Amino acid sequence: MAERKQWKWAADPSLNKMEFTKLEKDGLDVIETIVNTYSKEGFASIESSDMDRFKWAGVYQQRPKDGHFMMRVRIPGGILSSEQARVLANIAADYGRDLVDVTTRQAVQFHWLTVESLADIFERLASAGLSSFESCGDCPRQIMGNPLAGIDPHEVLDTRPIVAELEKFFLLNRDFSNLPRKYKISVSANIHNAAHAQINDLAFTPAKKVIAGEEVIGFHVWVGGGLSAKPFLAKQLDVFVRPEDVVKVAAGVTTLYRDFGYRQKRTHARLKFLVADWGPEKFKEQLLELVGELEPGGIDLTAGWNGGYFYGIHEQRQAGLNYAGLSVPVGRMNARELNELARLADEYGDGTIGTCNTQNVLIRNIPEAKVAAFRNEPMIVNRFKLQPNTFVGYAVSCTGTEYCNLAIVETKERMRSLAQYLDDTVVLETPLRIHMIGCPNSCGQRQIADIGLQGALVKTADGMVEAFDIFVGGTLEEPQFNRKLNARITVDRLGPFLAQLITLYKVDRQEDEPYWRYVERVGLSHIQAQVDSILQPA
Amino acid sequence: MGEEQAESYLYKLEAVLEEGRLLTIVVIAQTDERAFTSAENNLLRHTIAPPRIKELSLVEKKPLGRQGVGYVVETSTFA
Repeated sequence: MAERKQWKWAADPSLNKMEFTKLEKDGLDVIETIVNTYSKEGFASIESSDMDRFKWAGVYQQRPKDGHFMMRVRIPGGILSSEQARVLANIAADYGRDLVDVTTRQAVQFHWLTVESLADIFERLASAGLSSFESCGDCPRQIMGNPLAGIDPHEVLDTRPIVAELEKFFLLNRDFSNLPRKYKISVSANIHNAAHAQINDLAFTPAKKVIAGEEVIGFHVWVGGGLSAKPFLAKQLDVFVRPEDVVKVAAGVTTLYRDFGYRQKRTHARLKFLVADWGPEKFKEQLLELVGELEPGGIDLTAGWNGGYFYGIHEQRQAGLNYAGLSVPVGRMNARELNELARLADEYGDGTIGTCNTQNVLIRNIPEAKVAAFRNEPMIVNRFKLQPNTFVGYAVSCTGTEYCNLAIVETKERMRSLAQYLDDTVVLETPLRIHMIGCPNSCGQRQIADIGLQGALVKTADGMVEAFDIFVGGTLEEPQFNRKLNARITVDRLGPFLAQLITLYKVDRQEDEPYWRYVERVGLSHIQAQVDSILQPA
Repeated sequence: MGEEQAESYLYKLEAVLEEGRLLTIVVIAQTDERAFTSAENNLLRHTIAPPRIKELSLVEKKPLGRQGVGYVVETSTFA
């Protein structure tokens, strides 16, 4: 066990209970206990206070709480090698009932792990340069990035070295392993906001500035974004950060959060609460006191939002090379399929795979001469499609009641089958992003969807029936969260209801008008009238 | 840790009455089914005539493992 830090907040008697747990034993110390004790002595040997700390190892109990665990593995910036993919596939096959989920933070998630398996899994991950550590817990989580970094024609610099430096700096760094709550960082130099800057605690987006007569490409900085039950869009600080200063600034922001973030109530502890209180001006002043002078903000190079989608074959920055954006419906695959992706990456690309925050994947660096054969691979034709149908292609889902203790309804399979139904029923070329979540926490990022579906259970004469509340108009293009309609639709009517609602949009919309913009133009009351007319008894 | 104990949850439900009112009910229960039953019992206790419920829905649950879990229920503002 490492030497314990003497944190200045330790003397505060008004800390919440979890803070005392973290002061007694750093979350990272549980990793050693898992390896040396729990993985040998089994589930019954786990001390209840350590169960909370399991998150620092990237592991939580899954539903039902019968001794099985979920694990997230960090994929920094959403880029992994085929060798790493095979290690992940083998873990899923050996320990995780053959299940691999790509998450909305570009991580990979396993289920059904036992505590006895964890030491071996940690070892296998480490042997491939991977880690699950701090992918959960009150610490810097998976660093989100542009999965096309280094090859992206729409990026202004290659962010791979920056993400790697951030990962090296924060991972297992005990200066930052005791934050008030979870802490999410994103870095992208893609001009289409590929890493969803405004919903991260700390985000770097592309910018440029003429400094001493020289044009410098760097970043703007956003702080305090987050979804959950009380969503908040990050605020931009008036600073320009050179690429070489990203780690310094990230360390500064994280230090402010660590030392000034709120620890009295866990429900009021995320960075967004400090940012909302201080405002961006004071936050910037405090940051500059820590990290020294920074240039004021320059010219923002962000031009719209691609939603994190990259479907199809596209030319890379490097002439003669292409990347392939593939659809993984609701992010779920099995070990065989992940191994197959690894083979495709080796055979056609340079052996790297991208994971997207839309729960999809990419194959990078495919030479022009191999594109035709790649397109004809059975896995590409039948499963991970290059051009998925609209609804399957733009559907996102949280885990739902299958594994989550807080979910009220099943989501994953339901979202997949609902999207399939809509594709079979409505022909729509325009992407329409539908996100389904099983509870008010927002693992499926319901708030930024064109149409968000949030689960509820309705009591009927036939018993409990799953239903969904409907939210419309979310986007990060002109950032705004979607808004709730007065409609709770039972699952038996959900498909036909959405098909009608979307058909009305299809008829009324202006050319190429995305759904969120249509909602903005016609107004919420117009959409509510549409809903009322659909729901009116015949 | 040992054998799994049945966990209790703090449930939030919404009742739409036929007269149009929306009521929020908060109950402790171990299962979703029991949450509905408890909510209906609480509604009966709360009213003289049995409430005419148009729709009763369970919208959120939180584990009771930690002290202080609760809900904020938004209602009308004072004039």
